[in-house]
Amino acid sequence: MNDISDAEFIMVIGSNTTEQHPLASTRIFEALDKGAELYVIDPRKIRLTDFAHAHAPIEPGRNLPMINAMIHVIIKEDLVDEEFIKNRTENYEEMKESVRDCTPEWAEELSRVPADTIRQFARKYATTDKAMILFTMGVTQQTTGVKSIRALANLAMITGHVGRPSTGINPLRGQNNVQGAGDMGTLPDFLPGYQRPEWPETKERFSKLWGDFSCLRGRNIIEMFNLMDEGKMKAAYIVGENPVLSDPDQIHTIHCLEKVPFLVVQDIFLTETAKYADVVLPAVSFLEREGTYTNTDRRVQMIHKVIDPIGNAKPDWEIMIEIMKRIGMDVNYQSPSDIMDEINESAELYGGISHDRIQEVGIQWPCPDKEHPGTPILHVDEFKRGKGLFTVNDWEFIGDQRSEEFPFLVTTGRVTHQYHTGTMTRKVWTLALEYPEGFVEIHTKDAEELGVKDHQPIRITSARGSIVAPAMVTNRINEKTLFVPFHFAESPANRLTGQNLDPIINIPALKVSAVRIEVEK
Amino acid sequence: MEKQLYTLNNQELDRVLGIWNEKSSVYVPVGKGEDIQLMPLGEAERTEDYINLTLPVKEMVFEQKEKLFKWKRSKDHIEVTGLSGEHTKNRIFYGVRACDTYGVSYTDRFFGKEFPDTNYQSRRAETTIIGVNCLRAGKHCFCTSIGTGVFSTTGYDLAFTPMDSYFLVEVGTERGAELIDQAKPYFKETDEGILKEKDALREKVEESFPLKMDLSNLWDDMARTFDADFWLDEAHACIGCTGCTNVCPTCTCFNVVEENIDKDEGTRVRYWDSCQSEHFTRNAEYHNPRDAVSRVRYRIYDKLKYIEERFGHKGCSGCGRCTDVCPTYISIIDIMQAMRKTAEENPEPPAVHQTTKIRHIIRDREIKNRHGLYAPDVATITGIKQETPEIKRLFMKYDDPELHKSYEHKGQFFQVTVFGKGELPLSIPYGPDQSDELVFDFKDVGSVTDVLFEMKVGDKVGLRGPYGHAYPYNSIKGRNLLFIGSGVAMAPLRTIIEPAVKNPDDFNQIHILASALRYENLLYKEEMIQWAKVPSLRVQYALKEATDKVKAHQGHVNDLLPDLNIDWSNTTAMVCASPERIRKVSGDLMDLGMNPKDILVTLETHMRCGAGKCGHCKVGSHYMCVDGPVFTYEEMMALPPEF
Repeated sequence: MNDISDAEFIMVIGSNTTEQHPLASTRIFEALDKGAELYVIDPRKIRLTDFAHAHAPIEPGRNLPMINAMIHVIIKEDLVDEEFIKNRTENYEEMKESVRDCTPEWAEELSRVPADTIRQFARKYATTDKAMILFTMGVTQQTTGVKSIRALANLAMITGHVGRPSTGINPLRGQNNVQGAGDMGTLPDFLPGYQRPEWPETKERFSKLWGDFSCLRGRNIIEMFNLMDEGKMKAAYIVGENPVLSDPDQIHTIHCLEKVPFLVVQDIFLTETAKYADVVLPAVSFLEREGTYTNTDRRVQMIHKVIDPIGNAKPDWEIMIEIMKRIGMDVNYQSPSDIMDEINESAELYGGISHDRIQEVGIQWPCPDKEHPGTPILHVDEFKRGKGLFTVNDWEFIGDQRSEEFPFLVTTGRVTHQYHTGTMTRKVWTLALEYPEGFVEIHTKDAEELGVKDHQPIRITSARGSIVAPAMVTNRINEKTLFVPFHFAESPANRLTGQNLDPIINIPALKVSAVRIEVEK
Repeated sequence: MEKQLYTLNNQELDRVLGIWNEKSSVYVPVGKGEDIQLMPLGEAERTEDYINLTLPVKEMVFEQKEKLFKWKRSKDHIEVTGLSGEHTKNRIFYGVRACDTYGVSYTDRFFGKEFPDTNYQSRRAETTIIGVNCLRAGKHCFCTSIGTGVFSTTGYDLAFTPMDSYFLVEVGTERGAELIDQAKPYFKETDEGILKEKDALREKVEESFPLKMDLSNLWDDMARTFDADFWLDEAHACIGCTGCTNVCPTCTCFNVVEENIDKDEGTRVRYWDSCQSEHFTRNAEYHNPRDAVSRVRYRIYDKLKYIEERFGHKGCSGCGRCTDVCPTYISIIDIMQAMRKTAEENPEPPAVHQTTKIRHIIRDREIKNRHGLYAPDVATITGIKQETPEIKRLFMKYDDPELHKSYEHKGQFFQVTVFGKGELPLSIPYGPDQSDELVFDFKDVGSVTDVLFEMKVGDKVGLRGPYGHAYPYNSIKGRNLLFIGSGVAMAPLRTIIEPAVKNPDDFNQIHILASALRYENLLYKEEMIQWAKVPSLRVQYALKEATDKVKAHQGHVNDLLPDLNIDWSNTTAMVCASPERIRKVSGDLMDLGMNPKDILVTLETHMRCGAGKCGHCKVGSHYMCVDGPVFTYEEMMALPPEF
């Protein structure tokens, strides 16, 4: 995180940093204080734009053309880092060829960012030594999510902005432990430590720990819900997740939860999802348990129990163990620390991270052994795969577009005082009061045309469903573009979003849905 | 008290703390770096290596969450039990810095007078504070510039100054002297000669402070930069996390929350609240008198000016914590410097509301509630009248008839509790000679009134009051009275109309101008017909829609003013409406020749506690609930434009 403070140039794309990552934004303010320049790419004039040196008011879903055009400019104006490309990467020529026609003018057509603004972004990024990119879901939750990230990687590699302090492309994690959960294999295609189940050494390593076990690739959440719909998935066990509000296409999600024959939900409160469960297992909050969180820095940090569990709630790990015992497994973990010992053996990234080493200050993985100090910066001398691979990411559009029936695009996100589906924050009086209800940001000009007044309830409807929320009339959003926070069950943004998926990894395009507006009488 | 001075050998400190810990609970600083807190002696290793406590000692006497009272409904009554005394007893806090002892001296003043805060007083009475003077400054310390440090001058029972191998110990209070007595053998009496050494040390420490600001011009600078451009930058930066107010030794605002066990039992608690939240001053229907700029600016003005103006204590103790914690680097230090610079380079004409000499008398009041300031007395609804489709009138009596006997009619409103739901201020719409029954008129506008609106005869509510500065009576005798009110806003005017109708000889002419959208929406329709029978009293109506029920002007109430034909210089007008309407009506009245001192208005902006404690209704250095809600128009115009 401290690398951000030392950056000379920060490009923020698809991240409302002050609202969702206030402490990361603190580092941006520190950098600004030291003279850094801040460039922001976002369809909304987010708070950061008040401090930014440039803002690209991009059309939702059109990051890729802009990034490719930036690469085009950098190559054309010969601002590339030839040494880095030669020594550290491969496949440059093919990538170069693929962006030959990606001129800023071409990108302007698609992204609505003026060509000269794209040039300005490209030049400044390429010519600043310590230039870093921060991004979040505004980039990934798109049908072009994977391509856009790869294009950002291309951008970073042609300019040599990788593997040094205050450079790189840096995802700010959306949850305190989403990094840790991914590290531990809550991904369909990995076992803990990003080990592919199909690799023979993976099977060998885990069989030693767990005995014989199925080593098939799992399903992602979109596939799982579709399997419930098809009647092929007979049971679901949802832990600490509220898909009724957080997954796309709420009507479909609810239909699947109603259809699946057996549903278990484990959470700290009775969530909207838990209401569909056959069995609800009460879990404890972070204050009532021990363990670790792995943050956006890949830093594994201890959490300590502050109060005893309330009622009959248990920590997630204890509940899991009880279930494992009941299905006849031989388990023998006495504490989270025992589990960490097993993690040390199973995942090299965590090999040397034990509870006693991180009582005071966490360690950043990879940390292969007990003597290793951890790794603040990845890809310093070599990429994980050896040479950095340039990829070809041609623009091709899938998903919602404006049409006569649906003339607006809606993008979704969060506000500072609510967190995700509001399971916790909407129960805290002060946070609930600060943002008691959802809203729809709409540009002043569009509101005037439709006769919508500030705070007037409006109905917005997509091909999937429709919600009602008060309008927030503002000039801080692009025209013909709306913004809806997804925290509020009364106006669930994800009733509008759909099953437009990134074809490579199936992430849903939550950030772009076409809608129409009706004024509520 | 004669100055008592002692020395204590460094080596003996732990032994002394141990002796005190036998009769009390001694808390000492533990932790490291910037993470220092007070913990019971022996629970963790005591540290002397710290700049300051992470949170001011205030959090121990004004706790983040405090219970106010609990209530329980049984068959035919509600039992209310005050909980202001529910807290840890007899604690000694060792290691408090000068900025925080100063803060405590302010909170003692703030909570201790006018309506004394029973929760605070109960905790404070069980608290002993031992200051330990600083020998070095933190990054954002500026107590020397403000004048609250670097060594404690107030707010301590004992003050320790570390001097090489011993502490100089100064006794601040009787309570401090008792502590010395408890461990007498370890304290060596010394004379005032030692104070020279202390002064030399203080100067040395002050010298080492990195931050020195000349604040002699501060209030003048503030008056000249109220609308300066830099406030917009600060507003853009503030994300409303409220960290600054959470760490402030002089922040005292709170919000009350109902924590219910079920529909028949619950507790009302208070939590710290923050003026840096958007919701702090938000009223119904999204109306908020403070925008992003005035929100950020208010905190700074309150700390640097409003508190001192009203209470005579510095509102900022210079601890710098707000600057330490701000995630977007909003700094009170930078702001003071920006004020200085802007006032010098690009000053505005001084803002009238910052330079006005119009001040209010601070009245010492005490509410004789049975269970403490914040716990209501139970009353039963004895009658209900539907006044208009949206307005109801509730008649009620205290369950304890003694309370009617001791009732003193000297305020303007009551705080009415709907048990389990919340509390809201309702005006008193009756005169002083009515003491056997309480009456309230109210409109259904929010979640508490929703429930109140559905209540039946026999249902129970809670009452606290009366609060507020009421309309005068004796001082306006002999004058013309002009009452102007619309809809439910007629209710507060009735406190004067009632006695005036009974004693019309007290006044010259009396005019009532009642306005509404349509006749049905008017409050006191029948009463007004009765009142109009008094020869010197005339009622006129201004309605948007025509009616055949009474003779009415179709249009604004302002239209009626020129034809009243009264001696405006001998008239007192009482206007109850929204601030915008008040401005319009008062403007017209002044054009007709009225003195703004003779126009009385009510400003009932977001009053919550009624006692000038919770902070929600503060405008500039005034609390609407205790200084108002009745103000003269002249006073209203002297307030900052944030109501």
